[in-house]
Amino acid sequence: MKFIMNRDQLVDSVQDVMKAVSTRTTIPILTGIKIETHEDGVTLTGSDSDISIERFIPVEEDGYEHVEVEKSGSIVLQARFFSEIVKKLPGSKVEVEVFERFGTRIRSGSSEFNLNGLDPQEYPRLPEVQENDKFSIQADLLKTLIRQTVFAVSTSETRPILTGVNWHILEGELNCVATDSHRLASRVAAVESTTDELEHPNVVIPGKSLTELSKILDDSSALVDIVITESQVLFKAKNILFFSRLLDGNYPDTSKLIPSDSKTEMVISTKEFLQAIDRASLLAKEGRNNVVKLSTMENGQVEISSNSPEVGKVFEHVSTESFEGDELKISFSAKYMMDALKVMDCSEVLIRFTGAMRPFVLTPLDGNTIKQLILPVRTY
Amino acid sequence: MNWNTLADRQPYVVKLLTNSLKKDRLAHAYLFKGNKGTGKRKISIHLAKAYFCRVKKDSEPCGECPDCKRIDSGNHPDVHFVAPEGQSIKIEQIRQLQKEFSYLGLESKSKAYILEHADRMTSQAANSLLKFLEEPGQETIAVLLTENPQQLLDTIRSRCQILTFAPQSQRKLIESLTEENYPVQLARTAAALTNDQAEAEEYLNDEWFVQARKNVLKLGEELFERPQRALLALHEHWNPHFKEKQQVEIGLDLLLILYKDVFLTQLEEEHSIVYNDQQNILSVQALQSSQSRVRTQMLHILEAKRRLNANMNLQLLMEQLVLRLQEG
Repeated sequence: MKFIMNRDQLVDSVQDVMKAVSTRTTIPILTGIKIETHEDGVTLTGSDSDISIERFIPVEEDGYEHVEVEKSGSIVLQARFFSEIVKKLPGSKVEVEVFERFGTRIRSGSSEFNLNGLDPQEYPRLPEVQENDKFSIQADLLKTLIRQTVFAVSTSETRPILTGVNWHILEGELNCVATDSHRLASRVAAVESTTDELEHPNVVIPGKSLTELSKILDDSSALVDIVITESQVLFKAKNILFFSRLLDGNYPDTSKLIPSDSKTEMVISTKEFLQAIDRASLLAKEGRNNVVKLSTMENGQVEISSNSPEVGKVFEHVSTESFEGDELKISFSAKYMMDALKVMDCSEVLIRFTGAMRPFVLTPLDGNTIKQLILPVRTY
Repeated sequence: MNWNTLADRQPYVVKLLTNSLKKDRLAHAYLFKGNKGTGKRKISIHLAKAYFCRVKKDSEPCGECPDCKRIDSGNHPDVHFVAPEGQSIKIEQIRQLQKEFSYLGLESKSKAYILEHADRMTSQAANSLLKFLEEPGQETIAVLLTENPQQLLDTIRSRCQILTFAPQSQRKLIESLTEENYPVQLARTAAALTNDQAEAEEYLNDEWFVQARKNVLKLGEELFERPQRALLALHEHWNPHFKEKQQVEIGLDLLLILYKDVFLTQLEEEHSIVYNDQQNILSVQALQSSQSRVRTQMLHILEAKRRLNANMNLQLLMEQLVLRLQEG
């Protein structure tokens, strides 16, 4: 294997794949980066077995030559050393050549490194991509989608399946649901797919992988192709492939959790409500559960209060835009409410209650692509 | 390596595993129990290969494909080896495994886990392992290897299919060692410590081991004949020789064999005696002591072995043991 590449291009690409490489892994080969050259370019791969990132550097792009491939082949190099080396190389071009027994020479300007490589055969094989089963979504929409659901995944390992976001694809619609069994966030978005029959009922993507993915994607409206294979999901942006393993098991049926009827409905300004809850939670944090209480008042206002006996009390009054239905006193976690309000992305939010002991739903006033369900807290 | 060569040593286990492979009826968890050197690890790795190899013939993995090779080198992403980190298998290691259990495999849907020295799990680790032995995922196999199955939780044992690895007959091992021109007395001793030919040869080629046997016998003699001088003998012969923990462990094993021999002499089972060049001392001691006393002394040595694993000061450990053996 032999290729010559622009140093900056190589540094950038190595940095991308390094995001997937973990120093503490039980599989020795995963401490390395796999480099593969073929006629149309160079592919770098990094993986920590949960996520894998593949970066492709084409020989030529937009009339600009990135890399010169002289001989195709592949090698695995120690990620820690390789990334440090390329960062500090003096020349503007880097030449990488592999000799017998995986010996690798890296040359740039006046410096020359000889690294001992590892056998590329030992590297995990990523799944073959079936192009016909893909669907696409805009990168910025995908990022929003992730932001609006991933915060609600469970952090406890007692029910591992809940540490992921459930993606449900049916009839060109993608429904993302995340829950930690105390609250639930769901978001619906339309996706473009080549076939109408695309259907994936039970795909659970680990929350951590999605967080990593959104760090890598840039805020553009370019399309990201998504392919779901037997055990992995693949996100394909321009020149970068992001694989994540899926969680094993069946996601609980959440469709029946969201109540359809309501006894009390109100519309409230998101920002004002969020700030009021935030202030009320200052004292609530001192108490055990970060719980605040919401009570309806006569003049269309609501009162948010919190009481920690050792510290003090707080009362907040917020005017609602509209208010209908029964009077209500309900307690809930301020943190959950704030998390939900922060991702609403709308100026006014509709909250529907069905009683003090029943979960309530937050939706934007315009449209119902986002649904946030929060369970109340029982207080006496 | 193939199933046939493995079957020479463990015909029963191999037969059972190959049959389950052929009929696609592997259990979700196996507990391999058997003495050191009975081939537990070899068979577990071979089983993993047979499970993952895509070009296997019948139940025989090819040993050539990337899957087989990567299992050998420990680089297969869906095969996990867990061995004690230091003293024990820690809860973090099991947590890591638990996380792996909750994901689908990286390359295929199947996964395999091999837990060496499963008896050395801390109690938290064992309890946390229980959880996924109870609710196995799809297409996973777990293999637990242990030399002391009775030290595992009942609840773990009951959830695994237990395969007993038959020890190689000691007589056979001694015979094959003497054929290699090792002195018969030493061969007997080495064969009493391990069941593995290679390991026994390693012992026998080690000058240290030969000396260790002598020193243990000397200490034994002192204990039997001049118990009041035993502590001195300990300082003269034992402490300078047995410095490391593993060395002390071997020393204690050798001492245990000595007491066992006394016991066997009392039972008139002379043919199983290991130190049969020491018949005189053994028979004198057998007459002077009672069976229950020897039994208590053996218990003291076993207790010392247990404490050794609990990081006790080596010198204090031995002094305490000698005092206990004196009062018997």
